[in-house]
Amino acid sequence: MARLESRGVRPGPIPACAGIGLRSVHHQDLLNERPAVGWIEAHTENYFHEGGAAVRALERARADYPLSLHGVGLGLGSVDGVDREHLARVRHAIARFEPALVSEHACWGHSGGEFFNDLLPLPYTDEAVELLARQVGEAQNALGTRLLIENVSAYVAFEHSRLHEWEFLTAVADLSGCGLLLDVNNVYVSSKNLGLDARAFIEGLPEGSVGEIHLAGHSRNGAVLIDDHGSHVCDEVWQLYRLAIARFDATPTLIEWDTNIPALSTLVAESQRADSMLGELRGLAA
Amino acid sequence: MASLRELQASFAAALRDASVPCAVLPRENLSIYRNNAAISFRTALGLSFPVLRRRVGDDYFRELAGRYRRQHPSRSGDLHWVGRDFAAFLAADLHGTEYAWLADLARLEWSREQAAVGTMHAAISVDALARFAPEQLEHLAFTLQPSLRLHASDFPIFTIWAANQTDNAPPVDQFLAGECGLVRTRVDGVEVRRLEPRVFSYLSALSAGAPLGEAVSTAGLDQSALVQALGFVFHEALVCAVALKVARPAS
Repeated sequence: MARLESRGVRPGPIPACAGIGLRSVHHQDLLNERPAVGWIEAHTENYFHEGGAAVRALERARADYPLSLHGVGLGLGSVDGVDREHLARVRHAIARFEPALVSEHACWGHSGGEFFNDLLPLPYTDEAVELLARQVGEAQNALGTRLLIENVSAYVAFEHSRLHEWEFLTAVADLSGCGLLLDVNNVYVSSKNLGLDARAFIEGLPEGSVGEIHLAGHSRNGAVLIDDHGSHVCDEVWQLYRLAIARFDATPTLIEWDTNIPALSTLVAESQRADSMLGELRGLAA
Repeated sequence: MASLRELQASFAAALRDASVPCAVLPRENLSIYRNNAAISFRTALGLSFPVLRRRVGDDYFRELAGRYRRQHPSRSGDLHWVGRDFAAFLAADLHGTEYAWLADLARLEWSREQAAVGTMHAAISVDALARFAPEQLEHLAFTLQPSLRLHASDFPIFTIWAANQTDNAPPVDQFLAGECGLVRTRVDGVEVRRLEPRVFSYLSALSAGAPLGEAVSTAGLDQSALVQALGFVFHEALVCAVALKVARPAS
């Protein structure tokens, strides 16, 4: 495996190449092997604590890799509002780790004081556009940075939805000034579960709106696709990815793996596949 | 048309109770979200209480986690906090049963969990005592490492904890004598350590702000053991600050 040369200073912006999601089981391997991946992304909530092995590992990894922090817990579309304490912790993590990108999800997660710790789907209505855009704007102000907002995978759709998901996301981005994080696997999973057109989704998002792409695997439970990030990216998702990078130009692309996590080298190999597709695109453009 | 507030409230209610209606399709897929929430909660709880989970087995742990979640649902978007009330829940839920000892084990594991993500503050050296006269020593009060947690139980929780660091460990008889000890953050990890009862009671008194002489008496140590007791807290890098605590004149 190619090794990354240490640069001695905190690396800057996320390059338009493939990166990997950093999970705690890979902390030591990443630090020992220094694989040549373009950047790393960490789940913000796993690095809230003052001390401990995880924050020490991220501090060290951060010295050699451009870093993106990806939140899963703010529930920015919750009508009960954004948890101020959680937002303050994200702000603290940003000050500490100095990520080049910060992202969250187009979802809600809590109601009546109970947190479901999941990325729950929103109805695609004007009211939800306004609420999510307002709260994304509040979070951007509080955090002092622009956010990328990710489309979530869905197992149900609200009967009240009046917009296509891509129209919904585009409107949120227009109103709040956020960018979009396009999870191609989520587009595929939702399209299969809800009988939607995945290509229309990708072609429906405005060019220039997508700042990052996520790729992951899913599993099947009967007729339902489950977004478990527990396997290789499937061929259909790679095909959609090719469509996406052609439309949104070369875009930083993350390989995520959260269950049945394999050896770090498997993630690196998967990221190289994304890199080779990005390379082909550049070859065509040259 | 229902408001967003009404839609989220009905979705949340349908996650708590499958019989509650919610305007989504396909409706049966709501069970995926219902299961996700329960599994995320239980998994996070299991990561905070690995020894307890090992001792009771996955089936009983699932039952405990389910009962606990109904009374203490997650209150944060950060799953690391779901175990905060688990020991108190177990103390009430298992009171008077043969599993009552699990509450003390849970307290110990929660302390370990906190210490694992804490920081060790700079300890001062025994040289800091040079500015005090020998007769002042008994009036010294100490600020100990903030990560220090002291535990005393009627059950052998430190032995149980130490014996169950891997799966399939042989059981420890939970009706052996009670134990006490400490949990704290070290530079590169956590220390979980059983203490001799007098040392425990000495540290407990110091930790509660008692001056050295009083802490030594409370622990039933001879005053001649004062210097040794003093040496112990410095040797263990437990002292972050020291101050003379002047007794208030009797009124």
